[in-house]
Amino acid sequence: MKKNVLTIVIAAVLVVIFALLLFTFQVRQSEVAVLTTFGKPAANNLDQPNLYFKWPWPIQQVYRFDQRVQNFEDKYSENLTADNTMLLTSVYVGWKISDAKEFFPKFAGGSVEAAQRQLETMLRSAKAAVIGKHNLSDFVNADPKQLKLENIEDEIKTAVQNQLASQNYGISIDFLGIKKLGLPESVTQTVFDRMKSERQVLISEAQFQGEAEATKIKSAAERQAADVIANAQADATRIEGVGVAEAAKTLSVFQQKPDLAIFLEQLKTLKSSLNQKSTLIFDERTPPFSLFQNLPANTQTK
Amino acid sequence: MERNIQKNGLVNLAVAVLIFLAGFGVTVFAGSLAGQAASIFLGLGVIVAGISWFQMRLEENEHSEKLELDELARSRGQSLFESKDGGSFPAQNARLQFEKYFVPGFAVLILLLEAGGAWLLWNWSGKNTAGLKEANATAALSLFAIFALLLFLIGRFSVTIARLENHRLLRPGASFLLAGAYVCALVALGIAGVEAKFPRADFWVARGLCVLLGLMAVENLLTLLLEIYRPRIKGKIARPLYESRVVGIFAQPESLFTTAAQTLDYQFGFKVSETWFFQAAQKNLAALLLIQFAALILSTTVVFVDVGEQAVLEHFGRPVATLNPGVHFKLPWPADKIYRFRTEQIQSFAVGYTPDPQSEAANTILWTVSHNKEENFLVANRATVTSQTASGDTNDTSKTQSVGLITVSIPVQFQITNVTDWAYKNSEPDTLLKDLATQEVIKYLAGIDLNDVLSQGRLQATKVLRDRIQAAANARSLGAKIIFVGLQDIHPPTAGDVAGTYEKVVGAQQTKLAKILDAKADAIRLTAVSGAQAFTITNVADARRIQLVSSKFAEAALFTNQIPAFEAAPSVYRQRLYLQSFADATKGARKYVLLVTNTQDVVIFDLEDKIRDDLLNLSITNSP
Repeated sequence: MKKNVLTIVIAAVLVVIFALLLFTFQVRQSEVAVLTTFGKPAANNLDQPNLYFKWPWPIQQVYRFDQRVQNFEDKYSENLTADNTMLLTSVYVGWKISDAKEFFPKFAGGSVEAAQRQLETMLRSAKAAVIGKHNLSDFVNADPKQLKLENIEDEIKTAVQNQLASQNYGISIDFLGIKKLGLPESVTQTVFDRMKSERQVLISEAQFQGEAEATKIKSAAERQAADVIANAQADATRIEGVGVAEAAKTLSVFQQKPDLAIFLEQLKTLKSSLNQKSTLIFDERTPPFSLFQNLPANTQTK
Repeated sequence: MERNIQKNGLVNLAVAVLIFLAGFGVTVFAGSLAGQAASIFLGLGVIVAGISWFQMRLEENEHSEKLELDELARSRGQSLFESKDGGSFPAQNARLQFEKYFVPGFAVLILLLEAGGAWLLWNWSGKNTAGLKEANATAALSLFAIFALLLFLIGRFSVTIARLENHRLLRPGASFLLAGAYVCALVALGIAGVEAKFPRADFWVARGLCVLLGLMAVENLLTLLLEIYRPRIKGKIARPLYESRVVGIFAQPESLFTTAAQTLDYQFGFKVSETWFFQAAQKNLAALLLIQFAALILSTTVVFVDVGEQAVLEHFGRPVATLNPGVHFKLPWPADKIYRFRTEQIQSFAVGYTPDPQSEAANTILWTVSHNKEENFLVANRATVTSQTASGDTNDTSKTQSVGLITVSIPVQFQITNVTDWAYKNSEPDTLLKDLATQEVIKYLAGIDLNDVLSQGRLQATKVLRDRIQAAANARSLGAKIIFVGLQDIHPPTAGDVAGTYEKVVGAQQTKLAKILDAKADAIRLTAVSGAQAFTITNVADARRIQLVSSKFAEAALFTNQIPAFEAAPSVYRQRLYLQSFADATKGARKYVLLVTNTQDVVIFDLEDKIRDDLLNLSITNSP
């Protein structure tokens, strides 16, 4: 008897669990659900979180979708700007299911991946069109006031939204932003080369500025040195002139006996003009060798 | 009437081979990962069915041999055939040799196939990105379902025969066929899952079958090890080594207790299954499971939120409370559910680079050496050259919009401040936050000059970026607070040696400074030397002035004193002075005195100086 009661309890528990699984379902705050009866969707989406009742499969079936904002990034693709620059861009999009019962049949049983594939197709088309209307300076500009990135994002978003609204995909775009901005590899290499050339200009500038500055400094110093020495030499001449003037005061003394004074000057000059290596040839008339005039002749001398 | 069990074994083998080949073909046809795992499983079934069939034949031959010998013994007299020589029973010996050597050998082979198959398939399934061929999926699903049905019918029949008639050798192959039916059904379910938009269903079924193969390998290994220590009881028929208990349980889950009891009895050599504990557990299994289930449900009513966490409590999907750290009570699952978030934890992500642990271990970070997987960002370039000496042609290039490329490494740290916003506003809030941060970095760099951001712009960049990222996160209701935005690295791209040329500019500037400093040093030296020279020149002049004046005054004084002497004897004094001066002046000079006058002789003086010996020996070489 005890065993039977236990078996009944277990069976009842299993039946209750099974029944709950078959007849109820929950919708979370983050979800929206579509309830279909024999494949036909109900009139209203179940977008409020709660516990709901349904008939078991195959009579009714529940399709759940995430109603939060979902974001995806499109491919990093190349487009031509209005001023013929190849630009690589990638945008990310925040989108959400705005009407699940419209969304559900349009994308193979509500496949988010299928929806994103469709969205990406529209996005690439809109992106190419918008980028083609703008110059590179609208994307990159040292003057932030001339930068139009936000306008470009808005234009792409509006274009995609219009496309979505025209066919009622059950999707709405919440936001859109440029996530990557770049140049094709071949252009990137030329930008690298240009950046290097810019640096090379600065290298040359530094090198030659250094040389020029050094030369200037040296020549200024040389000029200053020459100036100083020239001034010193002028001073020296003046000083010597002063000495000559002072020495000239003694000339009146010598004027008392000019013959003697001249004779003395000649002697002084004679002294200073002869040195160790001078060779002098005298004859017997030159004093003091005139003494030899009275000596007997040397017959052997020739 | 005794059933010919060998025929059953042969049928099992044939079915196993057929389904294995067909299953493998369908797997290749559909590209199913789960199908590959099933093929390995079915292949093992072929080996097991083959061994068991061969062993059945040996036993049957032995049985026939025994009957023939008994017949001969009855007809010719027993004494002639009472030989104990084993060579008289070739069929029996063949079976014994097979069980002794071949069966363990096959068991080891099966172990290797199971372990190797599980390992290879696990790795292969992790790397394979091709996935199921959707166009062939429906056909593969149908075929695997048919395989499952066929294997189930034949396997169930064989298992029942084996159990009813206690044919131990029929059991391993039959179990493999029945388990193969479930495996094929699982493969079909995996393919159905893929078709029902669960793209990873096939992958996870494959992974599950890998685990099953791994379990079979472990069980096989344990069986081989335990076989060494199993007590051998005479007359006790050994269980086939290649029979898998895991496969048996998988094929017949209801036999779990029976199998467990048999295993324990077999291993310990006595009836463990008859002990009171085992009997009680078996008797009250249902109640125990019910209690376990109730305990499990009750355990979901208590929630412990850890330090640093917050949890959102959902009641039938509706968020009703945010739970802080501590103990909380709730209705049991699935009425109430909680979702935990680490709100205190500082989380981080990187913009512009992918951290590379190997490069980050380096102690020195250089512009010229790539230290992470870095991305290049477009940045504005106000002028191509900022040189003061740039000539007029630079103006032409500056008119066109010039861009540069730059590498930035920006770590961003954040905390979750509002779990409700974080959990319910966006499906992937962390990815969105990174996208927003990247967008703001791109916008910032697109609107600032390359040279500005590399120099003085860095200081304000982090603050501006943090404010902008926070504003963007708030606008999207992310419920996150940006704690830190760092500009840990910003430099020209490493690629193409662009960063290297920036370093060369610094080198050139240093060279420029060095040249200027050298020139200044030369100027200082020149100024000092010229000053000294000027000082010397004036001093020398002054000295000469003094000397001149002094000497002239002295000469005047001497002259004054000489006048009286001259007046006293003018010619004598004059001659004296002459001779004194002559002597002094010609003291060191060579003197030749010609005493001969009015002669016809010509006197020749050789006044050349004698050249020194060292000058004569001087060697002259041609300079290069």
